[in-house]
Amino acid sequence: MDAIRIPPPAELDSLEDEHFRQVVRAFLRENYPEHLRNPPKRLHWAENREWYMKLAEKGWLCPGWPKEYGGLGLSPAKQIILTEEYERYGVARTNDHGIVMLGPLVIKYGTEAQKTFFLPKILSGEHVWCQGYSEPNAGSDLAALRTEAVLDGDHYVVNGQKIWTTLAMDANWIFLLVRTDKNAKKQEGISFLLVDMKTPGITVRPIINLEMHDEFCETFFDNVRVPKENLVGTLNKGWDMAKALLGFERIFLGSPRQSGYALSRLKLLAERMGLWEDAEFQDRYARLRLEFEDLKALFGTFVEKLKRGESLGPDVSMLKVIQTELFQKITDTMLEISGENAGLLEPMEGNRDLNIGGLYIQARPATIYGGSNEIQRNILSKNVLGLPG
Amino acid sequence: MSAAVQDDRAESIRMIRDSAAAVAPPGGDLKRVRELRFQDPGFDPAVFREMGEMGWIGLRVPEAAGGAGLGLGEACALAEELGAALVPEPLIPAMLSAAILAGTPRLAKLLAGEAVLLTAWQERADTLEVPGNADASRRFIPMAAGATALLLPVREGRKLALYEHPAAGLTIERTQDGGNVGSFTPDLAGATKLAEDVGPALEAALEEAALLTGAYLLGGMERAFAMTVDYLKTRSQFGRIIGTFQALQHRAADLKMQLALTRASIESAAAALDEGATGDARRAAVSRAKARAAEASLRVTRECIQLHGGIGYTDQYDVGLYLRKAMVLANQYGSASLHRKRFMAVSPEVEE
Repeated sequence: MDAIRIPPPAELDSLEDEHFRQVVRAFLRENYPEHLRNPPKRLHWAENREWYMKLAEKGWLCPGWPKEYGGLGLSPAKQIILTEEYERYGVARTNDHGIVMLGPLVIKYGTEAQKTFFLPKILSGEHVWCQGYSEPNAGSDLAALRTEAVLDGDHYVVNGQKIWTTLAMDANWIFLLVRTDKNAKKQEGISFLLVDMKTPGITVRPIINLEMHDEFCETFFDNVRVPKENLVGTLNKGWDMAKALLGFERIFLGSPRQSGYALSRLKLLAERMGLWEDAEFQDRYARLRLEFEDLKALFGTFVEKLKRGESLGPDVSMLKVIQTELFQKITDTMLEISGENAGLLEPMEGNRDLNIGGLYIQARPATIYGGSNEIQRNILSKNVLGLPG
Repeated sequence: MSAAVQDDRAESIRMIRDSAAAVAPPGGDLKRVRELRFQDPGFDPAVFREMGEMGWIGLRVPEAAGGAGLGLGEACALAEELGAALVPEPLIPAMLSAAILAGTPRLAKLLAGEAVLLTAWQERADTLEVPGNADASRRFIPMAAGATALLLPVREGRKLALYEHPAAGLTIERTQDGGNVGSFTPDLAGATKLAEDVGPALEAALEEAALLTGAYLLGGMERAFAMTVDYLKTRSQFGRIIGTFQALQHRAADLKMQLALTRASIESAAAALDEGATGDARRAAVSRAKARAAEASLRVTRECIQLHGGIGYTDQYDVGLYLRKAMVLANQYGSASLHRKRFMAVSPEVEE
């Protein structure tokens, strides 16, 4: 194989797409730690720090940020290529809330002082962020959130509880949606606040999920005093800001990769179970396979839109629903055809690619997170089909 | 493809869609379609001639041979528009015939729409195989009641010769959509040989006919679904517009996703063929698209009936026409089941 030169970060955005793809592949071969490929679970900071810092050192940490803030300034089309190659290589997700969510928000709405203080610390790995949006009584109905911030002199005093704060135990900063006006309509009294996790009054409690993993947390706020300059953007406009930030990244929830991975495991499993030539199985597999191929084609039409410089409409919700439900259908089929192996806690035959129960459980939250599929169908019926109510 | 070429292509496809209005009245008037149902020949020969004049029968025939030389992207767009309007004239079977008549004196009259030449290739139900047995009954010839003559592929050694056979003595059976299919037992004594070997051309033409049928179904399901969404926005029960009920909204969202997948499947298959896919790649792309279109069109149209309630079950309401059309076309040029098997037989591994 010819060695591919990896150009400096500032030049990446100007490469031809296919050349860029080759550069990403070479970059991963050179830099990605082999033992972190295809981790079965979401990694903690202690585990993925090595890779995060490597990205930071190489200047590759923030692909979507403008170059002037230390990002790669990549177009959506190039970011999709980057993500495709990361997924193909089995690159672990990092503690990326600062990179993906907070950075772009501060760049768009933050003061100069906020930009100067926070952005370099994300780039250096000094600040690891987590997201405080959901609450026990504000899940799909996020705007019902009640954690409140009351101004007291130069500080906001925060009281309440957040939930599903992914990897909060690893984070040293959290960005919050908080209620700052209880009398306004529910979307209109919400603000965006940045909080140092070392502030007295914050308690983090891990939640063990069905994967027996502790990536989610509950985070409690008891009279937590936050300097008022940590408010981002306009008071009471936090909801609009958070919504405005839901950009083309929504497309990734519909990336066919997850289903493609599961399909290849289903095939392997069918072979091990002696079912690959079975006519009934073949028909079931064909249906899943065709759904996958059509999903790929549909995904491609959305990528084409981004390449033409168009933004995504509410119809992108289709991708998320189709992808996640296909992923589940595949893992359902794996469970069904594997007999008693379905119930084993460890992968069948000690083969990580035959992790039947594990994959089945991993597929469950896919239809819940990122806007449950029921919410996505609401969006489709109201904002795409124009149905009333 | 360069951006400029892509733009030209999009423009060409848009023009084809616009031109379809000549035969498919905008606004979805189905009066003509209703008047032609359940009687012979099931379509209007004058409209078939008009299709010839528009250049549609020869859309895929190279310009040098007297056709328009356009791609499958254009052909699928046209079929989709005609499907939306349930146009009954046998354009897709005629395009298939045109593909195998290249270089014969019969081509010109077919391209002009003056002769309805239908190919009697099929010997059993649900197949894309052409055995070409000289004495085997030929079956399921679409709209055969209006055939001027039949084109008969006959196996001769390794080749598939083509004969012209009189259309007399056909057995005609009506179909659910108001059209018909014909069958007959050939008699070569009264037939005229037109070509020595149409095997490869016919194989390619059948692939295209399957894809175009999928596109026609897509147009039909889009229109039936649009009617249904309109109905959900206006029909009131329990003092509410029924489209406000979440149970119905989610069903509508599910159907929308079927439409999106079908469109992506058809359009990507058309693009693959236009980019020169042959052999297994062509078969995989076509089978994927036809399997999807067949299954989705049946699902969407029957759910459209359900979402309408009682009115959807009346013959005077148009949505039922789309259900009946899907019942006929879903299995024409191969059922979903046939195409799934064919896909599995040729498709490559999942790329990781």
